[in-house]
Amino acid sequence: MPTEEIKVTPYRPYGADIKETRPYSPCRAACPAHTDAQAYISLIAQGRYNEAFEVITAPNPIATVCSMICHHPCEQACRRCGIDEPLSVRHLKRFAIEQSKDYRRAKRRLAEKTRGKSIGIIGSGPSGLTAARDLADLGYGVTIYERHPQLGGMLVSAIPPYRLPREALKEDVDDVISKGIEVKAGCEVGRDISFDEISRKHDAVLLAAGLSMSRSLNIPGVEGPGILLAIPFLEDVAFGMKIDLGKKVLVIGGGNVAMDVARTARRLGVKDVSMVCLEASDEMPAWKWEVDEAVEEGITINNSWGPKAVARQDGKVTGLEVIKVLSVFDKERRFSPVFDNDQTRTIGADTIIITIGQMANLSFLKDSAVKIDERGRIIWNADTQMTNAPGVFVAGEVVTGPGSAIAAVANGHRAALAMHLYCQGEAVEGKLPVQEKEKIGQMPSDLTDKIMRIPRQKVRHMDPETRCNTFEHFEEGFTEAEALNEASRCRGCGGGAVVDSSKCMACLTCQRVCPYGAPVVQAYSVIRPEYCQACGLCAPECPAEAISMVSYDVREHRNNMAAAIGSPSAGRTEPLIAAFVCTNNIGRHAFQTSSNVKVFPVHCVSRVDILDMLKAFECGADGVAVVSCSGGACKYLDVEKRASARISRAKSLLSVLGIQPERLQKLSSVTADIDSHAAACREFSERVKALGKINSTNKDKE
Amino acid sequence: MIVGSQKPLDEIWNMVRDHKKVLVFGCNTCVAICHAGGEKEAETIASMLRMKASQEGRSMEVSHMGVMRHCEPEYFTPVMDEVKKYDIVLSTACGVGVNFLSERIGNVPVVPGINTSFYGAVSEPGVFEELCAGCGDCILHLTGGICPIARCSKTLMNGPCGGTNKGKCEISSDVDCAWFLIVERMKSLGMLEKLAEVLPPRNWTSARDGGPRRISLEHIRVFEEAEENKDKSAGGKN
Repeated sequence: MPTEEIKVTPYRPYGADIKETRPYSPCRAACPAHTDAQAYISLIAQGRYNEAFEVITAPNPIATVCSMICHHPCEQACRRCGIDEPLSVRHLKRFAIEQSKDYRRAKRRLAEKTRGKSIGIIGSGPSGLTAARDLADLGYGVTIYERHPQLGGMLVSAIPPYRLPREALKEDVDDVISKGIEVKAGCEVGRDISFDEISRKHDAVLLAAGLSMSRSLNIPGVEGPGILLAIPFLEDVAFGMKIDLGKKVLVIGGGNVAMDVARTARRLGVKDVSMVCLEASDEMPAWKWEVDEAVEEGITINNSWGPKAVARQDGKVTGLEVIKVLSVFDKERRFSPVFDNDQTRTIGADTIIITIGQMANLSFLKDSAVKIDERGRIIWNADTQMTNAPGVFVAGEVVTGPGSAIAAVANGHRAALAMHLYCQGEAVEGKLPVQEKEKIGQMPSDLTDKIMRIPRQKVRHMDPETRCNTFEHFEEGFTEAEALNEASRCRGCGGGAVVDSSKCMACLTCQRVCPYGAPVVQAYSVIRPEYCQACGLCAPECPAEAISMVSYDVREHRNNMAAAIGSPSAGRTEPLIAAFVCTNNIGRHAFQTSSNVKVFPVHCVSRVDILDMLKAFECGADGVAVVSCSGGACKYLDVEKRASARISRAKSLLSVLGIQPERLQKLSSVTADIDSHAAACREFSERVKALGKINSTNKDKE
Repeated sequence: MIVGSQKPLDEIWNMVRDHKKVLVFGCNTCVAICHAGGEKEAETIASMLRMKASQEGRSMEVSHMGVMRHCEPEYFTPVMDEVKKYDIVLSTACGVGVNFLSERIGNVPVVPGINTSFYGAVSEPGVFEELCAGCGDCILHLTGGICPIARCSKTLMNGPCGGTNKGKCEISSDVDCAWFLIVERMKSLGMLEKLAEVLPPRNWTSARDGGPRRISLEHIRVFEEAEENKDKSAGGKN
């Protein structure tokens, strides 16, 4: 329950600012909303799930939805594609969101209304919800008008629950609405309230009504019973209406909505569901995995046939006459189907569902000032998200045409910013951010042998037999072990080393240390982001301390050491051990050991500096352990030998101070098992205990 | 570049032990390249000094700092006010830097954290070897680029001596005989007979033997003086 109104400062992960000045990781660049997948995957790998949630939801208010249905352009862009398989980003997102459920619910707060202005948003799909959230956070009073009884737009009315469970959508919607947004559900503009009245009530209006009408086919026999249109069909299923499907359903269409229609028909008890589409199997507009899953569910797809006429007998549908398609696209990739009229057949069916495309229902704009073109589309300016009518903005599929949910989210952000500028009396032209972002190039071919192959974590599906009988979600999420395994595959693109050119004097140390050839040194060192693997080996080696890391503060552990260690009591019976523990292994972030061991998690021991080890002793530690991955399990190169050399030097420095070098040790257990690491630490602690307290320090005298 | 190595901690400690506010001041050029006195090593020494102070029950504030170079005054300017706040500066720059800072800092002692040794190069990462003695009158064109002054233990001008031993110097099997290297090189260059030419006795006044050296480039100084005059006529330096 939202309580007091507070101003929420958004969480920004470390390095967020510098990342804006450099090419994005390809995953982030590919996302229309530019979600920083590398940042949240890194947080997941460290067990920081709530922070991962913050990174995920900052640019995306329907993140739970996306974790179920997004077509994940990030995965297609992942630089592991050239090595083995891309990161399973969508499932990692789902995992982080599931882990942070309590956190997200506790976060819900009313947003302060500070602007004294109100916004009306027509439509509660991805773009409408996004604009609503942004504008509420900016201090506007927001009212959403939604014709369905539930919020979500296509997410609730057209995407079936076996792909998007209602509870998942509800979490996202509740996050948005709990900011104090006024919701008018079951309110159809044009029927229950006029567009004119909305325009008068609000300082700005957003048309985010989507493409809610199905296109039909103008072929003989289409009039009459037994023919359904996609959207009304899916809406009826969504809102619990009774539907009469026959025994043999034929779906016309080859896109994602057609897949939803066919698979829904299957789940309504129809055993014989088939599809027919113009496209050949390799050019179907539906995502390949949707097609694969449909085929697994026993759906037959008739590729390269075009609808000619509906066959009827005694008024009832008996099938669809189709003509052979020779090609769908012309040389310029324009839609221009070519048929072979001599090749025809009839596909048998008693019910036909037409899923060939959608259009907007703009009848409510009939008498308004908003101009519509001769093809029935709103005339809009993509640079400003404005219609010709002052104060009337647009977002989402209603103007962009059919697209993904995440693309609509990005468009919703643009519209919100445009509306905010407009309400503040500022010009909008030229102020909306550029969508295309420069991205880090492909993984260079000379690196492929240097990157450890780790198979992608498989996602578990309900078996086809079982899942066809239920609308339950057919995918299972990752367990923690699976998620951490998968997250460790990330190579940290864009999160790596940066050289301060004002300190670098081109000594070549980083070039010599880097196993991946990332630094190029001329007047000063430049670390090439497409080569850098963000291992962290170079920064502690730089003699001028000129190297920092984008994704973490290299001085973090040194700076926090005193506070973390506290004041070791003179009468302590157990030695105080500082342990730098590599988190790149299952459960390492949850590394629990005895209370006398202070754990400093690191993504790899490559980042542990001699200065960190010395600092621990400086702050009063009796012993320091550096706990690394066992044997060949390290996902980076050369770490073992560099870490050993650093520890060797640190030991000789300790000897100079008269501190027994055995108090500093590199530990790695025989297995990757978390318990054996804890055991190694306990053993080390016992050995340090036997050495007694360190030669009297000031602290001991207290 | 100039190569040096850190002084033993005990020696450094004896220099600073009686002071309350110590700055370990690193240089990020030559001594950083040889990993002796860059900002990182300065921070390392600072950490060691703090632990040493704690061990001896002394209250001492030790900080560290680094600038690009200690041999050009402009690098000191932005930090000099901060540097002067300390009781003593432990410079981990080469001896040049210790001198240069001492002349400019006023009443704060500057002590050396490094033993500055030679002009050398990086034979392999972590290995630095002396190759030049700064004699001021280079004759490397006569010796195939191999310096008998820096690299011959006896600084012979007409070696090798009788101590040469299978290409190594009699002082150690780790030290190459410079004249062996010279002869082999001149052979490979087809210039061996040049070594038979007689040269007059070397004039050593160009080396340190002739007193502290100074080089003054008039064409640069003229420019700087013109800049100064321009500033003066424009109302003085800012």
